[in-house]
Amino acid sequence: QEVTLRLHQFLPTQSVVPRDILDVWADNVERDSAGRIKIDRFPSMQLGGTPPELMDQAIDGVADIIWTAVGYTPGRFPSTEVFELPFMVTDTHAASAAYWQLFERHMKETEFKDVHVLGTWVHGPGVFHTADPVEVPSDLRGMKIRGASRMINTMLESLGATPVGMPVPAVPEALSKGVIDGTTVPWEVTGALKVAELVENHTEFEGAAPYTLAFILAMNKGVYEGLSPDLQAVIDRNSGLEFSIFAGITHAAADAPSRQIAVDLGNSIVTIPASDVAADWLPLVAPIYAAWVAEMAEKGIDGQALIDEARALMAAYKPAD
Amino acid sequence: MSDLAIGLWSFPALLVLIFMRVPIGLAMFLAGLAGLMLVGGGPVVPLARLKSETFTTFSSYSLSIVPMFLLMGQFATLGGMSQALFKAAESWLGHRRGGVAMAAIGACAGFGAICGSSLATAATMGRVALPEMRAYGYSGGFSTATLAAGGTLGILIPPSVVLVIYAILTEQNIAKLFVAAALPGLLAALGYMLVIGVYVRLYPASAGVRRAVPYAARFAALAKVWPVLAVFGVVVGGIYGGLFTPTEGAAVGALGTGLIAWANGGLTRATLAGSFYATAKSSAMIFFIVLGAAFYNGFLAMTQVPQEVALWVSGQGFSPWLVLILILVFYLFLGCLMDSLSMILLTIPIFWPVVQGLDFGMVSMADLHAARAWEALAKGAPLAPDMLDAVHTALAQGAELSREQIRALGVRGVNQGALARINIEQTAIWFGILVLIVVEVGLITPPVGMNLFIINTMDRKTPMGDTYKAVLFFVASDLIRVALLLAFPAITLFLVGW
Amino acid sequence: MHAVVLSLSRGFAYLGGLVLAALIVMICASVLGRAVADAAHAMLAAGWFPVVAQAVLDAGIGAIKGDFELVEAGIAFAIFAFLPLCHITGGHAAVDVFTRRLPPRADRALRAITESVFAAVLVLIAVQLGAGAQSKWHSGQTTFLLQFPLWWAYGLSLVAALVAALVATYMAVMRLVEMWLGRDILPEAA
Ligand code: NA
Ligand code: NA
Repeated sequence: QEVTLRLHQFLPTQSVVPRDILDVWADNVERDSAGRIKIDRFPSMQLGGTPPELMDQAIDGVADIIWTAVGYTPGRFPSTEVFELPFMVTDTHAASAAYWQLFERHMKETEFKDVHVLGTWVHGPGVFHTADPVEVPSDLRGMKIRGASRMINTMLESLGATPVGMPVPAVPEALSKGVIDGTTVPWEVTGALKVAELVENHTEFEGAAPYTLAFILAMNKGVYEGLSPDLQAVIDRNSGLEFSIFAGITHAAADAPSRQIAVDLGNSIVTIPASDVAADWLPLVAPIYAAWVAEMAEKGIDGQALIDEARALMAAYKPAD
Repeated sequence: MSDLAIGLWSFPALLVLIFMRVPIGLAMFLAGLAGLMLVGGGPVVPLARLKSETFTTFSSYSLSIVPMFLLMGQFATLGGMSQALFKAAESWLGHRRGGVAMAAIGACAGFGAICGSSLATAATMGRVALPEMRAYGYSGGFSTATLAAGGTLGILIPPSVVLVIYAILTEQNIAKLFVAAALPGLLAALGYMLVIGVYVRLYPASAGVRRAVPYAARFAALAKVWPVLAVFGVVVGGIYGGLFTPTEGAAVGALGTGLIAWANGGLTRATLAGSFYATAKSSAMIFFIVLGAAFYNGFLAMTQVPQEVALWVSGQGFSPWLVLILILVFYLFLGCLMDSLSMILLTIPIFWPVVQGLDFGMVSMADLHAARAWEALAKGAPLAPDMLDAVHTALAQGAELSREQIRALGVRGVNQGALARINIEQTAIWFGILVLIVVEVGLITPPVGMNLFIINTMDRKTPMGDTYKAVLFFVASDLIRVALLLAFPAITLFLVGW
Repeated sequence: MHAVVLSLSRGFAYLGGLVLAALIVMICASVLGRAVADAAHAMLAAGWFPVVAQAVLDAGIGAIKGDFELVEAGIAFAIFAFLPLCHITGGHAAVDVFTRRLPPRADRALRAITESVFAAVLVLIAVQLGAGAQSKWHSGQTTFLLQFPLWWAYGLSLVAALVAALVATYMAVMRLVEMWLGRDILPEAA
């Protein structure tokens, strides 16, 4: 082969994202290049560093391609937070598509100018997994809940919970020891983490999800630009809007089997009806929107316009057949 | 040269550097730097990594436990705990032949329960017990060897800095490793006392006897060691009981010993500076090795050497036991030349993937635990949270629970991955304790034994050769203990499953 | 000269020790706050002294927000600040079995080379840490909970890393001089 690319990310090989999304992408690239591109895959931060550094690793060339949650580097990619606002995202597919479109329009030349972005997506609807049942916001009062991003932590605080920051792999231990009372992860992750065995209650929301995480698959810019045009074309063909939608769909589709585990275990899964969300939950988190818009204004970003545009793009999304 | 070849060649290169007296952390750093340049095709990758890797390595929350445990050991000394431990042990054992030496071992074990470092334990107890032993007519070599061996209890008995590092490298639970280390640690102390008993019979001239102390005085001396028990109980009990994270436990322990030392008048402005300096030196030494290892291991991962080694070993058809014994023997040899932390940081990232893939039938241990869980269940007794794993195992093997039992236990359903997970976890704990012991033997094996050096500098009149000769008895007891733990994994694992 | 550099190293070790001690106290306060808040919530749930429990919670007693992040930022500074003292007192672990019988000249040469390389590495570390601080400054990355800019933590560590590089350079120069003169100038490591 001509080029070997190092793909670095933080989850073990057999997890959903590496197995069903990243490997598929990498295999397709290898195949389409007729073996001229080889992609070495390094799971679980094998090349060193911590997950928040993945983005810099791609920028600096420590790795050629990285996958990460954008929220791991708070403050750096503020525009992506539009998809992480509470109760913003209803449909993962639409959000992943809108994310890519917003990226091309507003972030490509600004926040992400130092990398070559290959794909953008969000995970399935956010759910609360808690030891004690959560049916109204006041149930969360005083609960220590693990959150993965700045936005999720802000939302947890607004709802009266105490956000606790910890890496995903530490969650089962913390849950079993009662160090935390609950966690925010999409259903997909609960299977591998055995969350359904550690807590009995799960709270879903009709309509928009209380939270989601924005992900990114990105490549070192110099490495991409150094590829011959036909190899660049191979990368391009496998990346972009279509890939982002595929990734969002695949990520969300992995929720069902893990959710079934909780069902089989006889756990209690409550769904908050849309009317209750509007009456009890939205008023508590509404100030986050205004605060976020104000914060964005400080950075010279029109946050309200981003919110409106993201909503319009998500509404306009038509699933392909 | 292929990446794999570069990775393999880095071993001899690294050893040459180390044997040329290049500090171990620096040697690993240099090997990693050169390797990354070769594999990455230039300085871009290593330079880019350096922008954040030093900071993230030094800012690790889980590793912050290390300076806290070190400071705790310093405060414990200032608080007079080492003195109190030795006095108590001496008042009970001092009148027997070899009793003062046994008392020194007992005091080392007690100090080990609140100090995470072997060197600190050896140095502290050396200062307390060495003059006493010499005063009661103990021979120089026997005294220094006893204290050097006793010093290793600092790490064999939890809390232990080496176990913290092992847990981080293998992604295991620090609390469980601490609990697993307790019984083997006590066995070590017992073994050393037996060695002393044998030694004074073989060489009666090497030890004197002192007069017995009345029982009232003995109990009075014993009453003075309660702070040690309290600190150990709060730290290790709190961590294992889930009251706080290991780092929080270390902080609570450090503050507690600090307050005790302050109340005893041992903590003054001057002694505080001294304890900061000692903590600073050891912490910087350890973190620099961790940094070098992170750099070197990142390079090794890039060359795929650990995976290839694991593949090669599993393809040879060696029995798991043979592989394990070879690894332990390798550590014993390396331990004659290198210090324990460096060995762990250098080799565990390569050996653990190998050992993880081997089946030692640990699931039968899990069965044993499950059986005990069933027994407790039948009696209606409450189960400890950690016995849940055992119940899962039984469920995975097809046992059935009634709906009421399921509710009562808070266990719901069958966990398919449980068997594999338990197998790996138990192997990790057992292997970790075995490695811990063999690398600690390295601290007292000639010619390079850090503990031997430390104690020997405290007693300039004793030739190093005398210390070397006497310490071999203690090394022998270590080897017997390793054989015991190898043959009976239950000794290590039984408390973990409780 | 040596006394000055040694005091500088001790000063930074002391500073690092103070930061370590502050972190220890902060963690203990956080553990205590968390325990009290948990107890208050339990009392509320059980209906025991609800007024007292509510007052405790309203007073904002609980775990210290962002304790984790403060530990990370503080401990990094402490370790960097510990490096100079470890370095100047020869505290780094090394294997000297095979070099113990070297003639004095060869011994001094080996020592001078090692110290020079070590100094170069610590300078490199400080320079690259500076580059890292700069990149964190430009990128505006913050921590999760307290949301303070990450470059603050980098910058603090950088100060200590620069001192470490300085001390190492001094040691390298002195060892080179010793090799040149053929006799020891620096006191035995203590
Ligand atoms: Na210990
Ligand atoms: Na040794």
